[in-house]
Amino acid sequence: MSDVSAASQQLFEVWKKQLDEGTQAWSRLLGQNPTPTPDPMSFWKPAMEHGLQTWSRIFATTPVTPDLMSQWKQFLDQSIEAWSRALGQVMGTDNFAEAMGRSLDQWLTSYAPVKKAADQSIDATLQALNLPTRTQVTALAKQIMDLEERLDRLDDGIAAVLRRLEGGKA
Amino acid sequence: MGQERFADVVERFANGYPDLTVGASPEVVRQWQEELERGFKRMQNLARMVQHPVEPRTGQTPREEIYRKGKARLYRYASKRTHRTPVLFVPNLGISRPYIFDLLPGGSFVEHMTTEGFDFYLLDWGVFGPEDNDLSFEDCVVKILPRVARKVLESSGAPELSILGYCMGAPLSASFVATHPEVQVKNYINMAGPIDFSKVGMFGLWLDRRFFDVDRFIDTMGCLPADLVKAGFKLLRPTMDLSTNLNLWWNLWNDKYVEGFTALNKWANEYVAFPGEFFRQWVRDFYQGNKLFRGELVLGGRPVRLSSIECPLFVVGAKEDYIAPPACVRALLDAVSSREKEYIELPGGHISLIAGRGAAVHCWPKVSGWLAQRS
Repeated sequence: MSDVSAASQQLFEVWKKQLDEGTQAWSRLLGQNPTPTPDPMSFWKPAMEHGLQTWSRIFATTPVTPDLMSQWKQFLDQSIEAWSRALGQVMGTDNFAEAMGRSLDQWLTSYAPVKKAADQSIDATLQALNLPTRTQVTALAKQIMDLEERLDRLDDGIAAVLRRLEGGKA
Repeated sequence: MGQERFADVVERFANGYPDLTVGASPEVVRQWQEELERGFKRMQNLARMVQHPVEPRTGQTPREEIYRKGKARLYRYASKRTHRTPVLFVPNLGISRPYIFDLLPGGSFVEHMTTEGFDFYLLDWGVFGPEDNDLSFEDCVVKILPRVARKVLESSGAPELSILGYCMGAPLSASFVATHPEVQVKNYINMAGPIDFSKVGMFGLWLDRRFFDVDRFIDTMGCLPADLVKAGFKLLRPTMDLSTNLNLWWNLWNDKYVEGFTALNKWANEYVAFPGEFFRQWVRDFYQGNKLFRGELVLGGRPVRLSSIECPLFVVGAKEDYIAPPACVRALLDAVSSREKEYIELPGGHISLIAGRGAAVHCWPKVSGWLAQRS
């Protein structure tokens, strides 16, 4: 079984190397000085070939037991973790944050007028139907919350007076 | 050319596949039988999950509502109350629902604390709507937390209380403790709560003022909707769903695992919006300004000085916490004046401090043990 484990580890190492190289290439691509577009096949195909060869060796040299599935699961876990770290490296850059900020900005630019128009249209429809609008319901809820706050302040005041009275008695 | 080589490899793989029936030992056969049974059980459970999904019964520890303000609710849990000092648990506001702290019997932080004899109170900040968009961080610290603390003291009859802040609940409650010296806080615990936002990791970068204009965002949206909260957290760990589903498939034969997964998955996909003003202040003063740690935060006219916290302090960080990395949590230790202070760093991530088997073994006993000696 140690052969299987070593082979799985070896397979993972090969795959990880390819992933790292791929990530670096994509990081370069997203960077300030873009390089020519990398060919994704040049990253992933060698890894797949190595992987298939390694698994072929494992199947040929060891009895096929359910343990092999545990190895496969372990390999998938490691791969997902490696993917996560690789993506984390890319997403933890200023370039990614800037790109995300820019796309959010563009989305807000297009969303704001649409939202305003939709709100106005819904309000007009509800008013025409003699129904309360969202703004009116929200305003009512806020008034209730203000009342609740006033009650709380009264409660605070009474509690403070009671504490002072108890302090005076002591 | 490339395709030919790839095909060759596949062919070699197929040719190299051994005859499965040759040389199989009884042990190997037995292992395959077990695996086959697990496979059937997996299919059975999968069919049940899809066709007859069971709503998980979360939050089963008995409790009563002590106080309510706006959407916030203060709950007191039933317990033997063998410790004199009550514990007020302040979790995060927005993002997620607090039933994660009382997920399932046998896997509940609340249940653990009550079993250990603590008079345990939980502040549920609630689910926010458009009417709450004016609620700010300052309101929480100046208007809600002082009243909550008073209600805890009144209902327990104790002269002082311990406060436990989790995640965002830590900066909220630490700000409260620092600005309200009149409230007798006996012990303070920070579990995975970010304090030094210069070390807060990926969220800190994404919300940096160079890339994110919080005023424009809130002025347009009014709040941070639940869907965007979800998108932000999913982006932080994009492979999380893949990993979760792979683990589910692997453990699908295990009924106990499925039960826990169903409850946790329900929680993990139930996001809560942030009130607009709260999010504005949270991003501007904490992520962008790091004002709490720098001592520049002013709430309700009072400067928030972490150095004015003098009670015993216990800080718990998680090694693989991407939301509040250990360094930004640990920072509280150096910022306070407490003579008695302790920091521990546990394995796992942000959630693994409050849910799951790891939490019940590594984290909760340490928290309750530390508190028990001082309550």
